[in-house]
Amino acid sequence: MPEPHDEVDTWLNVQVKPLLPPPDTFERVSGQARRRRLRRAVLSAASALAVAALAAVVIPRVAFPMQETGRHASAAHVSPTPAASPQHPTPVASSPSTIDASTARPLPATRSDPPPLSVTFVGTSTGWVMGPAGAARQCDRPAAPACMVLQRTDSANTSATSWRTVGAPPARGPSGPSGVSQVRFLNLSDGWAFGPELWATHDGGQTWARIDTGGLRVTALEAMGDRVYSVWARCTGKGPAFASHCTHFFVYSSSASSDAWSPIPVTSSGLNIPHVHSAASLVLTGTSVYLLLPGGHLFASTLTGASLPPLAPLGPVPAPCQPGPAQPSGQPSGALLAASGSDLALVCTGPQAGGGQRKTVYTSSQAGQAWHRTGTAPSPGTATSLAESSSGTLVLATSVGIQVSTDGGATWTAARGARPAGGFAYVGMTTATQGVAVPADPSRRAIWFTHDGGSTWTASRVGA
Amino acid sequence: MGKFRATDRAAAEELFNACYPRLAGWVRRLVDDDDTAHEIAAEAFTRLLARWSSLENPQSYLYMIATNLVRDHWRRTGRERRALRAVSAVSDGDPVFHPAQDVDVRALIQSLPDRLRQPFLLYHYAGFPIRDVAAMLGRPEGTVKADLHQARSRLRAALGESRA
Repeated sequence: MPEPHDEVDTWLNVQVKPLLPPPDTFERVSGQARRRRLRRAVLSAASALAVAALAAVVIPRVAFPMQETGRHASAAHVSPTPAASPQHPTPVASSPSTIDASTARPLPATRSDPPPLSVTFVGTSTGWVMGPAGAARQCDRPAAPACMVLQRTDSANTSATSWRTVGAPPARGPSGPSGVSQVRFLNLSDGWAFGPELWATHDGGQTWARIDTGGLRVTALEAMGDRVYSVWARCTGKGPAFASHCTHFFVYSSSASSDAWSPIPVTSSGLNIPHVHSAASLVLTGTSVYLLLPGGHLFASTLTGASLPPLAPLGPVPAPCQPGPAQPSGQPSGALLAASGSDLALVCTGPQAGGGQRKTVYTSSQAGQAWHRTGTAPSPGTATSLAESSSGTLVLATSVGIQVSTDGGATWTAARGARPAGGFAYVGMTTATQGVAVPADPSRRAIWFTHDGGSTWTASRVGA
Repeated sequence: MGKFRATDRAAAEELFNACYPRLAGWVRRLVDDDDTAHEIAAEAFTRLLARWSSLENPQSYLYMIATNLVRDHWRRTGRERRALRAVSAVSDGDPVFHPAQDVDVRALIQSLPDRLRQPFLLYHYAGFPIRDVAAMLGRPEGTVKADLHQARSRLRAALGESRA
């Protein structure tokens, strides 16, 4: 048996096996670095302007009585330069200089611009957006032909994001038991369109196969590692409310590269829920899958490769709120769940009143076994989607804009940048700094990006 | 903001091509998968390029940043594993999660306090001389030597305990 220190040496002396960078890594890295340099410069300049403005306001008030006394007649000529130098940069919460005024205008539509219903990214540069060709109402009709459009970008991390049309599943928009509304890709090959039907591609969208769900509707789907997980529910909702009036929920999983779906067993009385007006939410982290069910019951299982550990209830205490009715995306409207590692975040929404809504924020650092109220998000607007970046920043999409919290929900700051009328329906964080948001009104034919952790959002037109 | 001239870009690309594979490979031995290694290596380069003009020793900065990012990653996954271990404890009888019990050198390095782990990784694993490690960490060389000695002693003791 070797000596202990030899074991350390053995580990240290193993030759490091180089890992070649994925394609375009340098371009992506240098683009992000450029944006960070620019942001620093903007903040410094804004700080200088703010201090200069402060000096312009304060100095005359100080100087005026001095001029009156005649003792310091030159006080009005105090040079603002020292005060204006950015020696003490301060964050500028709403500096106009950071607002992209051009995005406040409606973006011109072209015939190949799909109104975005859903967006998915597999990295900072590559993503897909899915929407109906033409007017959504026409594509949602039960007798409509296949009319969904899928577009892909490989330049989302640049200032000139371009899109090209790729193969979409031959489906129409969501209507009762048929159609699709959401898209997710795990990598450049494996992707799924769902809500309520389920379609899969394993060649980047060149071909799609419809998955037989036995009449169940797919209301949520997430993929991570080499597996995909989804919620299949027995629902009777009609029209675009495909995820409403659901009574039974099941979690199915498959290897990402195949279509071998099987249910994940449940270690309690099951997922048969009497709350017929409530939806379910599915969240994946690096090592676990969380399922929030009507009644506020949270289940979890581990992501362990090929095996499928059962979903187990997380402690006796339910989450502090219930998911509530489904939104058009299929996601709950009453409880917005997000996760970063084992730190869960939950925004519980109250009834809408006077254009606002109570939004109470809870967090759990114990994987949902105990919840702590950490604060409230600003009341204006209706909360629609919650994301937590890998650095723990909470990003909340509402019907009036986006709010950001870097302290677990205790305090919130309104994101800068132009906001679409009607706000946002979805927000997701691809990395700690980059994220994407889908407007509530898809007819704007644009999605919004952030490259600074959610603080600033700018519109990017979709369409080939 | 320092300007990023074409010559800077060429130099940065040259450094990237020369250092990325080894840095990513270095990180890979400290994390569980290639994707995380690439994510950390790319983030380290992003931070490097964002401060390109103000750095005297970019390679040291790269490894210093990567060390901190690996530490952050360990903290996140550590919290998650601990929480899920607790989950498995409350769901009695359910074969939900049984974390591996084997002790390996990486886990022991991970368990070292920051004060000892940083110099250990930078000196023993990344191969920087003590003088550079001291400069990176802002500590006297003597302190770094003492920290390295203490780190080795702790690892040796921990390995001994793991066999006991």
